[in-house]
Amino acid sequence: MRIYSFCVYLFLYTPIAIIALFSFNAGRHASQLQGFSGKWYGRALDNPFVMDALETSFLVAFASATIASVLGTLAAVGLQGIRGPARALFDAVIYIAVMIPGIVIGIATLIALVTVFDQINPWLAALWPEGGAPPTLSMGVGSLIAAHAMFTMALVIIIVRARLSSLERELGEASADLYATPFGTFRQVTLPLLAPAILAGFLLSFTFSFDDFIIAFFVAGSETTLPIYIFSSIRRGVTPEINAIGTMVMGASLVLLIIAQLILRRGDRR
Amino acid sequence: MDSQASQAEYDGDFGSGAIRPVAELRGVSKSFGEVLAAQDLTLRIEAGEFLSFLGPSGCGKTTALRMLAGFETPTSGEVLIDGERVNDLAPYRRPVNMVFQSYALFPHLSVADNVSYGLRQRRPRIERRTIQDKVTRALETVRLTGFEKRRIWEMSGGQQQRVALARAIVNEPKLLLLDEPLAALDRKLRKEMQIELQDLQRQLGITFVLVTHDQEEALSLSDRICVMRAGRIVQIGTPQDLYDNPQSRYVADFVGVSNFFDGAVFIDAGGRARLRLAGGLEFEGRAVGDLAAEGEACLSIRPEQIRLSREPLEGGLEVVVQNRIFLGEHTEYLVRHAVLGPVIALAPRQSEIGASGFVQGERAWIDWPDGAALIMRRI
Ligand SMILES: Nc1ncnc2c1ncn2[C@@H]1O[C@H](COP(=O)(O)OP(=O)(O)OP(=O)(O)O)[C@@H](O)[C@H]1O
Ligand SMILES: [Mg+2]
Repeated sequence: MRIYSFCVYLFLYTPIAIIALFSFNAGRHASQLQGFSGKWYGRALDNPFVMDALETSFLVAFASATIASVLGTLAAVGLQGIRGPARALFDAVIYIAVMIPGIVIGIATLIALVTVFDQINPWLAALWPEGGAPPTLSMGVGSLIAAHAMFTMALVIIIVRARLSSLERELGEASADLYATPFGTFRQVTLPLLAPAILAGFLLSFTFSFDDFIIAFFVAGSETTLPIYIFSSIRRGVTPEINAIGTMVMGASLVLLIIAQLILRRGDRR
Repeated sequence: MDSQASQAEYDGDFGSGAIRPVAELRGVSKSFGEVLAAQDLTLRIEAGEFLSFLGPSGCGKTTALRMLAGFETPTSGEVLIDGERVNDLAPYRRPVNMVFQSYALFPHLSVADNVSYGLRQRRPRIERRTIQDKVTRALETVRLTGFEKRRIWEMSGGQQQRVALARAIVNEPKLLLLDEPLAALDRKLRKEMQIELQDLQRQLGITFVLVTHDQEEALSLSDRICVMRAGRIVQIGTPQDLYDNPQSRYVADFVGVSNFFDGAVFIDAGGRARLRLAGGLEFEGRAVGDLAAEGEACLSIRPEQIRLSREPLEGGLEVVVQNRIFLGEHTEYLVRHAVLGPVIALAPRQSEIGASGFVQGERAWIDWPDGAALIMRRI
């Protein structure tokens, strides 16, 4: 049994370890080690295409995680008031939303957005005053943010819900008993106590969006996020530069996930 | 209102109930789906009194309290606070405060911030200095000076209990509701806190409503006790009144210890009641509560009213001593009568039997003074 689990970990982490190892390769070939160097990291960070993609990824991740955290928290708090079969239905739908494969979400979002844009664009053109060029809605940063926010909102709801149900109902009642209005209770009791869960949800959402390739591939339009850049570069051959970028993305994600875990644990202990 | 009536109201300031009650329940019922948690509760809570709801688990004590606090809306009937109907008034608008069984202290706030929470919600805002002074005084009252900056989880159970009290009394509520506030404490600490609670109530003059299923707690703390069973109020009275004049077996059993003998009651035209038991035994007693003139009933006699004697007693009952428990001030005897079965008798230390003591298996006689026996409903 021990050997078995050892093998599982070996299979899981060997490729990742190799990528990290080769990112420090001094030579320019991905497959043979020729001494140790950090130059590919410098090369990657000097590449304007990489920096552009990184900027887009950051923007999308930050915006979608923020939207998901706010809407997800509100949804979780709202759901708390619902009981009975309706509650069970909502719960099921949210869990399913998290488990739907990315490719399905990607295609579904693409089709939905294209359909909506096709409906709205003629209207915009018709309503736009004479002379100016009417704006047209199309795929891009906006659709990326929307698609990621939609998916990660479900994550936030699940995390915040877990924390909410562990809070004593009586804390809210105690606050109301001490003359706090419902909004006052939300602001002074519910929100501070949910803060760790919300922050953890934000970090997970950020990581998800930052790493996501599948959904982004469908809805990015002409925009390039970091995973999309990596994908398109790989078609021209794996270089140590790509390995370096991959290692950096992985390192950053790992750090964020660990922080999220720590926050959640700390929150639970209180 | 004519002047005479208002004069009477004024004069009644220290009397019994002529002044307006702090809170009132009028025929209040509450059902949760199929469950009738409270039925037709009618009760006046007088200013400055210490009232307890006493009853076994699930009898609706918490529900009654939560309707006063505003967390539950009555299904029917009226809740009044300070003479105003508050059925639909949200909890945060009611001039009452509650101490929760779980304390429900805010874990993300310090002790001082917990205590000042209620004051900080007030509009127009209360000045910072005033809030600080009040918090300091409240913590002084519950003997927690110097704990202001502590975190809640750094406090012991007893200390948390006192923070919860301070958080409520700092608001100077018209009515302080306490839901089994001492249930989570160990025995010794509970005794201490009981005394503190009573002192606090006298010192502050705030009306206290306490929920408990501990009869000793209710008896030692309350001015009045409201005994409940299955969602209904069974009897309301002072501890002494409930002990001396229980209206039903349920109350006699719940408040103190008593011997009960089942039989058939006959009440004659003069109002004198007799209970006929199996084996031809018959006892006279004082009929209490709404007892039918004929039918099933039971006789209740407190252990300390039973006299135990070595010599045959005129009209007494012959028994055999079965067990003896030394209780310090008293000695408790368990004796057995051929028809009545086991009977508990309490002998004070000074009396000669207490001094010499009966031994197991010894023959003895018991009787009780006229008027000590009560005849009451069996439930
Ligand atoms: N929110 C609720 N939903 C459904 N039933 C409830 C609810 N609250 C109370 N009940 C029911 O109402 C009855 C009275 O409950 P309540 O909590 O008032 O009892 P209690 O006297 O305080 O008991 P305890 O001493 O155990 O606290 C119980 O049968 C309980 O199951
Ligand atoms: Mg209760």
